[in-house]
Amino acid sequence: MFQPVHTSIVGIGELKPSLDAGGKSSLDLMAEAAALAILDAGLQKSDVDGLLVTPPSEDSYFLWPSQVAEYLQLSPVFMNMVELGGASAAATIARAALMVDAGICKNCLCLSGGIWDKQVFNTLEGKMAVMSQAEIDYELPYGPMGFNSGYALIARRHMHEYGTTPEQLAKIAVDQRINAMANPEALFKTAITISDVLASPLVVDPLHLLEIVRPCSGASAVIVSRFSPDLNKKHDPVVIRGFGEAYTHNSIAYAPSLTESPIKMASQRAFQMSGVETKDIDLVSLYDCYTITVLISLEDIGFCRKGEGGKFVEHTDLTYNGSLPCNTHGGQLSCGQTSFAGGMSHVTEAVRQLRGEAGVRQVKKNRLALVNGNGGVMSTQCCLILGRA
Amino acid sequence: MADYNDTYWQNISSGKLCLQYCPTCDKYIYYPRSLCPHCLQANWEWKELTGKGQVHSYTIVHVSALPDFQNETPYIYALIELAEGVRMPSNLIDCPLDEVRVGLPVELAFIERNGKTLPVFKPRQE
Repeated sequence: MFQPVHTSIVGIGELKPSLDAGGKSSLDLMAEAAALAILDAGLQKSDVDGLLVTPPSEDSYFLWPSQVAEYLQLSPVFMNMVELGGASAAATIARAALMVDAGICKNCLCLSGGIWDKQVFNTLEGKMAVMSQAEIDYELPYGPMGFNSGYALIARRHMHEYGTTPEQLAKIAVDQRINAMANPEALFKTAITISDVLASPLVVDPLHLLEIVRPCSGASAVIVSRFSPDLNKKHDPVVIRGFGEAYTHNSIAYAPSLTESPIKMASQRAFQMSGVETKDIDLVSLYDCYTITVLISLEDIGFCRKGEGGKFVEHTDLTYNGSLPCNTHGGQLSCGQTSFAGGMSHVTEAVRQLRGEAGVRQVKKNRLALVNGNGGVMSTQCCLILGRA
Repeated sequence: MADYNDTYWQNISSGKLCLQYCPTCDKYIYYPRSLCPHCLQANWEWKELTGKGQVHSYTIVHVSALPDFQNETPYIYALIELAEGVRMPSNLIDCPLDEVRVGLPVELAFIERNGKTLPVFKPRQE
């Protein structure tokens, strides 16, 4: 049985998201992030004996963990690739905690990164590369716009069932932009208003351009080790209190519900393992590929009742100064979605906040953070509860 | 192409929307596949659908990266709840953009796209 609090995050490393990787490869960026995390943890590379990677953005998937280990010249006792879409990064942390708790490895490097190439991403081939055969055969003939149309279906249905408004969804993008303005690493730091969001082009009605992530290049690394109070002299320790996962569908067309996601079960499992409740959480890092993703997450985790997410975000300050700080780095909406590492940015930001190292955007109450990774169209969910020791 | 895919599209090209039906589970199966996903048995049979349903949700696509659709925008990509209890992604045609809504009753129609007959839906008068 997994023992919560026995494992901790001892090191983080993250590159500034960029729109131009300068000809570097995913491996180059991942190696840079790994070096930063090892330094941050006060470890030597030779101390790393476990490796969990998320998939590459453009390189061959074949033997990917082996490719990464070779580049870094690691010879781990355990390694694997975790492919759960946007939930992959959070899920590497859960799996690393299991491996470390079981004594299989001592220091597990969780590594994520990718290059964004517009020429590949915004083509028929790029869209098909992220579709199942069933989606290619039975959805593609009707012109879905990748993940955009899936999340648009959710937003429209939520508006129909609960009267959620475009203004309420836009508020999420506005609050996260305020957070990004306090983060020098963020890609987008110009102030925006609800009117700006609603005046941005309707890409897939009801979702506007400023409610949709901007893919970019970057990398992010986290090191998970057995917890010991004197493990890392440089930083306050951050422990993994628990995690929970849930899966119900691949394509949103076949989800049990458009408006209630498996985040509900994933977060309940994480709360049960960690022995805490929604009301105990001080800050959240919620996977934000779209504004509607954040709204559904807040409801399903229990910060408000199902259907009341619109009113909740309208009346709740989600900035680092607010009553429920959410995506204090700006989230992927304002920081950029660094391929699979976009999901890791939610982990690294929670760690910065729990350590008290978030600078001008440091939240006041920082005992307990909830991180959620979401993949596909609300398809794969991994919820982490992280806390100060 | 697997037999079940062939059968589905052959029926479509002759103007019929047929899905696999599992009598054990009393459920229709969409999309076609080798086994019933509920009982994992191959006891299914093909049944023709009424073609009636309603819009479960929809999006109006204004920007498309797909070459076939770039000159089609804005168009309606919809999730149709069929009377037989399964959901099917499709397009809504012959529907003014300001008249589409969740719950709109629809009926089966067919279009040709890229030399292939596709089942789509249009508003149904109740």
